[in-house]
Amino acid sequence: MSFNKVKEFIEEGDVIILYLGHNDMHSLEIKAKIPNKNGKMVDNVFQTKYGALKVFSLVGHKYGTKKKLSRGWAYVLQPTPELWTLTVPHRTQIIYSPDISLIIHLMDLIPGSIVIETGTGSGSLSHALIRVIRPHGHLYTFDFHEQRINIAQAEFERHGLSKFVTSSHKDVCIEGFGKELETKADAIFLDLPHPWLAIDYAVSTLKKSGGKLCSFSPCIEQVQRTCAKLISKGFIELNTYECLQREVHVQYKNLPILNLECLQYENVDKDMAQENEKQEVKLLTAMHARSLPGHTGFVTIATLPPFHVRKME
Amino acid sequence: MCENEDNIITVGKYVIIKKQNFKKIYKVATNGTLMLGRDTVQMHEIIGKPFWTTFEMIPVKEGKRTYFLKEVLETESLNDLLNKLPSGNDNRTIVDDGTSQKLSKEEILRLQESGKTGKEIVGSLIENNKSFLDRTEYSQEKYLKKKEQKYLRYITIWKPNISLLHDVYFQLDHNKIGNLRMDSLSQLLSYSDVQSDGLYMLYDSGSHGMSAAAILNRIGSNTEGHLINLHPGNVPQLALVNAMNFPREQLDKLINVNIYSFLRLYHQGESAVLDKISKKVHNNCINKIKENKGKNDDESLVNNEIPQIEEIDMKEENLNNINESNDKVEHSTNGSLKRKRDESDIHEAAEVTVAKKPKWLMETQDAVKLVKGSKARGLVIVAKEHPLNIVTALLPFLGFSRPFVIYHAHREPLQETYMTLKQKQSVINLRLLSNFLRSYQVLPDRTHPDILTSDTGGYLLSGYLVQ
Ligand SMILES: C[S@@+](CC[C@H](N)C(=O)[O-])C[C@H]1O[C@@H](n2cnc3c(N)ncnc32)[C@H](O)[C@@H]1O
Repeated sequence: MSFNKVKEFIEEGDVIILYLGHNDMHSLEIKAKIPNKNGKMVDNVFQTKYGALKVFSLVGHKYGTKKKLSRGWAYVLQPTPELWTLTVPHRTQIIYSPDISLIIHLMDLIPGSIVIETGTGSGSLSHALIRVIRPHGHLYTFDFHEQRINIAQAEFERHGLSKFVTSSHKDVCIEGFGKELETKADAIFLDLPHPWLAIDYAVSTLKKSGGKLCSFSPCIEQVQRTCAKLISKGFIELNTYECLQREVHVQYKNLPILNLECLQYENVDKDMAQENEKQEVKLLTAMHARSLPGHTGFVTIATLPPFHVRKME
Repeated sequence: MCENEDNIITVGKYVIIKKQNFKKIYKVATNGTLMLGRDTVQMHEIIGKPFWTTFEMIPVKEGKRTYFLKEVLETESLNDLLNKLPSGNDNRTIVDDGTSQKLSKEEILRLQESGKTGKEIVGSLIENNKSFLDRTEYSQEKYLKKKEQKYLRYITIWKPNISLLHDVYFQLDHNKIGNLRMDSLSQLLSYSDVQSDGLYMLYDSGSHGMSAAAILNRIGSNTEGHLINLHPGNVPQLALVNAMNFPREQLDKLINVNIYSFLRLYHQGESAVLDKISKKVHNNCINKIKENKGKNDDESLVNNEIPQIEEIDMKEENLNNINESNDKVEHSTNGSLKRKRDESDIHEAAEVTVAKKPKWLMETQDAVKLVKGSKARGLVIVAKEHPLNIVTALLPFLGFSRPFVIYHAHREPLQETYMTLKQKQSVINLRLLSNFLRSYQVLPDRTHPDILTSDTGGYLLSGYLVQ
C-alpha cells in the first residue's frame, strides 16, 4: 500500500525499494513468509551483497533511512513510479522514465483525465499514468495476455492503486475498447505490434470534444503505417519524436601538465624540465558511458479534433 | 450541441491562435487586436465562440493589412490546385536563377492587397512560375506547403494547455523559458514525483512561469496539493501560469514568495523581516519599479496584455522587494511623467506598511506555515544561478525518501553540486543526466529525422534525500 500516499514508517504489506547502490535496487514486499520453489511457505529473507536481510524486520523502520546488514548497509525508500520502473519484474519489454515522461507531457494528462492504455505489459507505464490522473481520473488498461493482466491487477491492488485503474483482458485490435468506454477517453496510448489496427476503435472511444492518441513503436515502419492511418481518420498535428537520455559520470581527473616551454632555454637548474612534468591540474569533469541505449522507440502523438470539426477521408 | 462554459472563448481568457504552423498566445479583450507579422487582426469576432472555431482573415479595406475575422466552416486547401497539373520526374532541367517567377514582388503585393483569396493568389503564382510544371510531385507539394503558410489566411483558436504553451515559447524564444526543452520539462515533473496531493517546492529564477504552471497543472484542481514557488526577484514570473486560465481555487494552491523573505522569516521570525523592510522600502521600491519596467519590454511573445497584468500584480506586491544584492539608491533617470508615477507608488507602498501587513508578508507566512506543517514531497530547482546554495538551503524542507531534481543549462555547476551533495552523504541515487531529442518527418517513402533539431536540452541532476 505504499504507492498511494507518503508514509513515514514501513508497515506490513508495503512494497519498498531496497537501495544497495546506483544500479543495485530491488523492490520487496514486506511479508513474514513467502512461498519457495516448491510452494512451501518459508521465512522471507533477501540475499544482498552485504549480507542477508530478514525482510519482515523492516516493519517500523523509517523510510529514507539506513538499514544495517551484516557486511554493510542499505537504504530503504518508498517507491515512486520511477523507482518502480527500475525494479519491476519484467514480463515484457517495458517503457522507461524518459519516454514515459514525454508520453505523459504530450498527452496533456492531468488529475481527472480518463486514459486508456494497451498493452499493459509489465505495468511500468501504468504506474506513472495512475500517478498523474489521480484522484479524479481513471486508467483503463488492456492486454490480450491473460496472465499479464492478472499479475498487473494483483500489483495494483498490493500498491493501493486499484481504485484508479481497471484492467481488462482483451485483444483490442479485434474487440476494441468496449461499448462502455465509447466517447469517454481523453487520451489513448498504444504500445502494440500493430497499433494501426486499434485506431478505428480509438476514434469512437475518444471524447466528442476530442483527445490525444499516442503510440510507442520501436520500428519506423510501424510509425509510418500508424501515421497514415491516423491521418485517414481525421487526426491532426502529428508529431513523432525520439528521446534518448544519457547519464554522465561526474568525477575528478588529475591531468598532468607538461612544461615544454622551458626547453627553449638553457637549464639553470638541471632537473627543471623533469620536475615540471610532475605538475598536475585537478579537473572536475564528467565521463560519458561506454555504451548507452541508442534506441528505445518512436513516440508519435496526434490530436483528434472535436466531433463537429473532424474531417475524415 | 451543448457547450460547456469552459469551451467558450470569453473576455479575459488566454487563447492560442494558430495560423498554419504559427502559434501565438493572445488574451481576449473586448476590442482587441492581434499582430501577426505585419498584419493587424481585429479579434472581437472570436468572443462567445467555442474553442476550435476557424476564422478567415478578411481585409477591412482594399490595400490595407488590417483584417476582420469571419467564422468559416470549410477552409480551402491548396492541394486540389495540384490535381490537374503534370509534374516532372526529377530536377535535371531546373535551374535556380531567380527568374522562374514572372510576377514581380510589387505585382504579388498588389494581388495580396486586392482582396483575392489565398488560393487565387497561389494559383497565379503557379501559373506564372515557369519551372513549376517541371518540378517533381514532392517538390510541388513542398512549394504549396510553403505558400500555404504565407497566403492562406485562416486562424483557429485553441484552448491553452502546457504542451501548447511550451511549444509556442520554445519555438519563438526558448531563452524565455530558460531553454527548458519539453523532454527536460517532462522529466522535471517525473523525477520530482509531482502529483495531486502533497506539498511541492519550486525555485525558479526565470522560465516565465513555465515550471510553476506545469507543476500546478499536475497538482490539478479540487485536489490536496500545494506549490511553493520561490523566486529571487521582487515579483514572480507568472506569464505562463496566467496563460493557463486556471480556476481561482487551483491558483490558490500556488504561493509565490521571495526566497530571501521566506528563508529569513523561517529562520529568524517576523520581526527580522519587518526590520529589514523599513530600512529598505524606499530604496527598493525605486529599484523594483525600474526592474519591472525592464522586464515588461521582454514580453513580446504574448500579446501586449501580459505586461499590463504584471503591472497590476506589481502594485499589489509593491513591498515584496527584499533584494539583497541591490542596496544602493538608484534614482530613476526616466522622463518626469514616469518619475511621478513611481513616487506615488512608493507612497502607496509606505502607506500599506503602516496600515496592515502587506500581502507578500502574509503569503510568506502562509508558505512558512505550510513547510512547518509538512515536509515537501518533491523539490524542483530551475536555476540560472549556481544551484548549490539553493539546494543546500531547500533540502531541509524535503521529506526523507523524497526526490529532488535540479535543472541547469550548464553542466559545470551541476557537477560541483553533485560532488558536494555526494560528500554530505544525505542524498542517494544522484544522477547527472542530459537528453537528446529529435523529431521526425513521417511521410510515405520520405521518412527521416527533421533536418534541424534543438541541441539545448540542458542538464538535470536528480536524487533522493535520506537520513
Ligand atoms: C511491450 S508490452 C507493453 C509494455 C508496457 N508499456 C510497460 O511499460 O510495461 C506490449 C504488450 O501488448 C500486449 N498486446 C499485444 N497485442 C495486443 C492486442 N492486440 N491487444 C491487447 N494487448 C496486446 C502484449 O501482450 C504485451 O504485453
